[in-house]
Amino acid sequence: MKFDIIDEINNIELIAKGSGIRGINRLRKFYGLGNWKKMKGIAHIRLSSGKVKLAEIHWYEAHGIGKKEIKRKKYLE
Amino acid sequence: MKESKHNLSEFVVCINNSDYPASLELHKIYRVIADEDASEEGDIRVIDESGEDYLYPSSYFVPIQVPQTVEESLLRVS
Repeated sequence: MKFDIIDEINNIELIAKGSGIRGINRLRKFYGLGNWKKMKGIAHIRLSSGKVKLAEIHWYEAHGIGKKEIKRKKYLE
Repeated sequence: MKESKHNLSEFVVCINNSDYPASLELHKIYRVIADEDASEEGDIRVIDESGEDYLYPSSYFVPIQVPQTVEESLLRVS
């Protein structure tokens, strides 16, 4: 089920950065060199079914590259 | 937690990683984590390349049965 983020991401926290990210080489291979960070936050998402859920999401980001691979960790409601 | 239909197999093969090329490797075997909420929404929970479990569309994967020796080997490293 694909999803869209429909509001602001809140409670943003850093999970890991640089070599502390497992799979950093894959990130660099597919998206480029950068100061990669693994982040988490909470946002309302809309599933392709139309359902809206509050979810904890994780993603990778680097300055000049942006957010990549936003993933759903769990639903909060 | 009730088992999803994908958890008749504990392992799946990734057949689509186009949206997550860093997090999923095409044709790699992934371990499934039981999640009833996931299956209700057409999703599956797997431990991806990050070592953490996340929800993905179940269409990205195909369930497989592996020999016991393979299962034991996969569980040792997961």
